[in-house]
Amino acid sequence: MFRLFLLLSFVFAAAPLQAAPVARSLVRIEATSQEPNYRTPWNPGEVSGGVGAGFVISGNRIMTNAHVVSNARFLTVSKEGDPKPYPARVLHIAHDCDLALLTVDDARFFQGMAALDFGGIPEIESSVSVYGYPIGGSKLSVTRGIVSRVDFQPYSHSGMDSHLTIQIDAAINPGNSGGPVMQDGKVVGVAFQGYSGDVAQNVGYMIPTPVVRRFLKDVEDGHYDRYVDLAVSYHSLFNPAARAALGLSDDGTGVMVGSVYGGGSADGIVLPGDVLLKIDGLPISSDGTIEMDGKSVQLAEVVERKFKGDRVSLDALRDGKPIKLSVPLDQPWPFTLHANAYNENPRFVVFGGLVFQPVDENFMSAFDPDDLRLRYMFDFFVDDKIYRDRPEIVVLSGILADPINTYAGDFRFGIVDEINGRKIQRLDDVATAFADPADYYVIQMLGIGRPIVLERQAVVEARDRILGRYGVTREQNLVK
Amino acid sequence: MITRTLLFAAILTPAIVFGGSTPISKAPTDGNLRAGNDSVLRVNSTNQAYDFFRPWTKKSPFSRRGLGALIEGGYILVTAELVGNSNYVELEKATTAEKSGAIVERVDYECNLALLRPADQKFLEGMKPLAIDEGAQVGDRATVIQLESNGEIAETSGILTSITTAGYPMDNMGLLIFRLSAPLQQRDGSFTLPVMRGGRLLGLLMRYDARSQTADLIPPPVIRHFLKEAAKENYGGFARAGMAFTSTRDPQLRKFIGLDQPGGVYVTEILPGGAAETAGMKKGDVILAINGLPIDQDGNYEDKEFGRISFSHVTNTVSHPGDTIQFKIFREGATFDLPVHLTARDRSKMLSESYFMDRPPKYVILGGLVFLELSRPFLQEWGADWVKSAPQRLVAYDAFQYEKPRDRGKVVFLSQVLPSPETLGYESLENVIVSKVNGREIRSLADLAEAAKHPVDGFHEIEFEEDPGKIFLDAAGVEGSRDRLQKEYSLPALERL
Repeated sequence: MFRLFLLLSFVFAAAPLQAAPVARSLVRIEATSQEPNYRTPWNPGEVSGGVGAGFVISGNRIMTNAHVVSNARFLTVSKEGDPKPYPARVLHIAHDCDLALLTVDDARFFQGMAALDFGGIPEIESSVSVYGYPIGGSKLSVTRGIVSRVDFQPYSHSGMDSHLTIQIDAAINPGNSGGPVMQDGKVVGVAFQGYSGDVAQNVGYMIPTPVVRRFLKDVEDGHYDRYVDLAVSYHSLFNPAARAALGLSDDGTGVMVGSVYGGGSADGIVLPGDVLLKIDGLPISSDGTIEMDGKSVQLAEVVERKFKGDRVSLDALRDGKPIKLSVPLDQPWPFTLHANAYNENPRFVVFGGLVFQPVDENFMSAFDPDDLRLRYMFDFFVDDKIYRDRPEIVVLSGILADPINTYAGDFRFGIVDEINGRKIQRLDDVATAFADPADYYVIQMLGIGRPIVLERQAVVEARDRILGRYGVTREQNLVK
Repeated sequence: MITRTLLFAAILTPAIVFGGSTPISKAPTDGNLRAGNDSVLRVNSTNQAYDFFRPWTKKSPFSRRGLGALIEGGYILVTAELVGNSNYVELEKATTAEKSGAIVERVDYECNLALLRPADQKFLEGMKPLAIDEGAQVGDRATVIQLESNGEIAETSGILTSITTAGYPMDNMGLLIFRLSAPLQQRDGSFTLPVMRGGRLLGLLMRYDARSQTADLIPPPVIRHFLKEAAKENYGGFARAGMAFTSTRDPQLRKFIGLDQPGGVYVTEILPGGAAETAGMKKGDVILAINGLPIDQDGNYEDKEFGRISFSHVTNTVSHPGDTIQFKIFREGATFDLPVHLTARDRSKMLSESYFMDRPPKYVILGGLVFLELSRPFLQEWGADWVKSAPQRLVAYDAFQYEKPRDRGKVVFLSQVLPSPETLGYESLENVIVSKVNGREIRSLADLAEAAKHPVDGFHEIEFEEDPGKIFLDAAGVEGSRDRLQKEYSLPALERL
């Protein structure tokens, strides 16, 4: 399989562009990647190839999108006017903001290449040019458009992150991913996603420089830490009765906290019902926006630009009394269950032909199970604090049919609650439980009255038969 | 998964379809069938269900036609589905097309049966009631009665292919059914048709699968149970043992629990407040016999009349609420008798009722916020795929209602907002579960209506189990806007309890 990164319809660029200087910075990236197979997790997965764009920045580094190089097994880059592909490697990859940095060990590659500098947030209606290797040919392509809107939008690579984005009306097509969007000789964004022509016309998105700069700063210590998050939900305070009941004047400021997600930065500091008035001293409008750099943005933008361990200060009203809160920022781990994961090997345990796997977004999209209890536990993992008792939801994901497990079929997608009385809180507990010697292994599923019972002796006798018949090359993998 | 089959098999029951392609079969009459013309009536029912999204309105009315069987006592027996949510029921004589309005005397959706009585009893003069059949066996022939448009009887002969217990349409209660193989044509507009054997009523056809040409009948034991209850001053309905079980076929399970005798089923679930729980039955018990009848590993016993069928026939149909059944239980190596005093389910105590017929859903509108109590028909408003498309937290409450604390009461939720000046900023709220109003716990809409009489400092404070946490309404504003809200949204009333 070969694909170009990014999905969009094709539109011609109308005006001539001065492509020559940027051509000295532009890089064509060919990636060979391997997608793990969650349905047969012991198998290595399918290999596919794709093309994306990138550009050289300071320090002999190449910037591109994370989704261009995700799950990559082999990467090559080539530059304009030099057909030779150079092997490249990933320095840093940030799946939450869809950015990655590559480098090429062969120093000759960077000879004659010019590092690009970053600009700021372009004005609405100003023109920008998009460079890349989109569908329609193999050479450098340029399209031009104007800045349509600056807004918070979901980043579809992770599927659960939202950050600042800039919408442009230039044609962005598969193969544009990772390419620079230029204005006045500076990079003002990295093209990364858009709508297909079936959904919306001329809607493309680029990652703006505040997000890019944050990424570059985060990796300065040689390690990418991910975004931090307050992990609270808040609601507008337009209702006059709500304002009066909370003792707020009619000045259009303040939002009310709905939920404080457990395990998140604000857990135990901010309380549901708190009215947030200021964040780092910036007044919060009752629609949840603040004024920053002369632009109206979501209050989360303050947190977006901070790093792990930084603090954010909040002015709030609690029970009608003003209080000041300081929240040390961290990554909210339970949320990551709902994010697409990359560069990970599926974890599993096979025992007696029963396959056990932890549940995450990758698992759910591979199986799309109908089981209601499983879907509830997954959907409400954060909201209902399911992670507290069960940091991982471990399910019986498959049955490699054999006489010893012929009565286990009803239990597929059941959530493993206990094995021989041991609470199963993560996949490792399953491996440990089956490693303990016992005559019987009694597997109790959540909400199912009948246990699965496996006789140790029968499992031992069936082992080679099952592994051989189903081509199971590994009985467990406990490491991502 | 086992529990899901128990609670949701209703969704899986095949749709009732009549095919138009099967050839007309004019089977030879089996003797006394001409009597059918004197014992069968067309029943036309105009039904109208409430709209659970807008519970103050009803959906468009629709008509269902079927055939009813005249039985002893001047009653016409039909399926409950035929007259579900009926506004008007009409009887029509087959040949003369003479009509009479009818009264629904008794309806039970669990066994899918209803008794009708003509408004004027003279209407039935000259007609002959049918006796209920007895002693039918697998392999017997039976005749499905339909009417031609000219009122002539159309008969289709079929063979009784199996006698088993299966989920009934409305509530998935497991009761006895007769399964008949017969090539039926669509004629009477619905699946409610009498089935005869030797001039007696063998049962009522309640669903038909045109592809497999298989019809499910409500058999005599279920009809008799219904009639016996209907003759009582207080209709007791069908009893439930209040537990779920699974097979003990798995030899590893049998060995592990030390079950060294053949047969027996493993109890997987004890419904809170049910007969089994009251009797002291426990999860993991093995039921070896009931009333001295041995139970096999799949839960069947040898019935004198019907052969191997599920023991639920004994608990649900042969027995009546109030009867006591002796269960022989195997628990931790010991065998003992456990008397279980059977009870019918008190549907009003269900957290989310599985069906909701012939009565209007409750609602309370406060300021423009519409509050409802959760029921499965509300979720089913999302269509055939409601399990996946309806709000998932509500679906989970419905599916796992037996795992909630028994005093949880009803789930009251804000279903939608009719925007008004009072609800400014709340327009996007929908399907969020209410926990408290004005500091009072909410376990029913009545609780909510009562709490709304006690605003705090001039505000209604409404708290939710989930986002947005809490909202406020101006109590005086809510009171002052009642008439305007009612008029603007054409609401017949702002609450119905």
